[in-house]
Amino acid sequence: MNETDPNIAARQRWMGVLARAGSALDPHEAALKDSAYQLIRSPEVGMTLVRGRMGGTGSAFNLGEMTVTRCVVRLADGRTGYSYLAGRDKRRAELAALADAHLQGSDQARWLDDLIEPLAREQREQRLNRAARTATTQVEFFTLVRGED
Amino acid sequence: MTTPHSSHWLQPAFDDPVLDAQVSFRAALGALAEPGLPRAMDRAHALGDLAPATYGLCLAFLDSDTPLWLAPRFDTPLIRANLAFHCGCPIVAEREIALFALLDEGELSDLSDFDNGSERYPDQSCTLLIQLDDLRAGIPLRWRGPGIKDVRGVNLPLPASFWQQRQARSAFPRGLDCFFAAAGEVIGLPRSTRVLIETEEAA
Repeated sequence: MNETDPNIAARQRWMGVLARAGSALDPHEAALKDSAYQLIRSPEVGMTLVRGRMGGTGSAFNLGEMTVTRCVVRLADGRTGYSYLAGRDKRRAELAALADAHLQGSDQARWLDDLIEPLAREQREQRLNRAARTATTQVEFFTLVRGED
Repeated sequence: MTTPHSSHWLQPAFDDPVLDAQVSFRAALGALAEPGLPRAMDRAHALGDLAPATYGLCLAFLDSDTPLWLAPRFDTPLIRANLAFHCGCPIVAEREIALFALLDEGELSDLSDFDNGSERYPDQSCTLLIQLDDLRAGIPLRWRGPGIKDVRGVNLPLPASFWQQRQARSAFPRGLDCFFAAAGEVIGLPRSTRVLIETEEAA
């Protein structure tokens, strides 16, 4: 197992989609909670340090702390699901962990089609919309050559 | 996605992580403050061979800064996975660098490799978490020292070799602190306690 393992890349993708889903998870609550499960780590709120880099070669610096909520559940068949969400919404952290657990099972394709793909599409549209709105405010600067070189 | 993974072994730990960890840590402090007095340590569930009291001590004490040495009896995938998940403690193979050690009664005849601190930093010694079957089934011992008004009778079932080892590793302020755990109770034995077996002074 390493970072190029396709399974890991796929799981990273859906965990990212679930982390960004927010209120879009709510309509799936009944389906996600349909099977018996156990809380291995009940949802808990904490802080995590966000680090950043200035430019491609800059060294890492501490950008600041953010609130995260994490949760781990286990389904009756032993599969575990993990979630890390920005903010302090414990209920949705539990839903996202349940989704992660379901997505590792034999029903993966169905969960991808029903849950992840619509959420990913919606998030992509929101991102493009926002980018389009922002693009209209872009200002291009021109600099006249001052003849110093 | 069907590869066997350590997450398969995970079990819930404390029901109320914050409160239960505080209560367990307080009980452990109390156990060291009043050596020989059994304290309730029953907030955790048993984990494989680990009794609730032993697991409670682990959950209260261990984190990513505390390397742990595991006795072979406790070195199972179940215990490793749950300690790694709930405590995040590194599990080390060398006794010398461990800050905590999880022992059963079979490991008590050789404590020579555990760190008993230095003159400058006696607090950096290894703390022994020792699981017993019972805390009251042994021969009568008389404990004296800080935290005990006169003398306290304790009946821990421990082999004579343990007291010899403890004596051998003791050079106050250096020494080994011990917790004895069975079922849902724990007894503390700090390095400062002098233990008398019947009339003869052993430590």
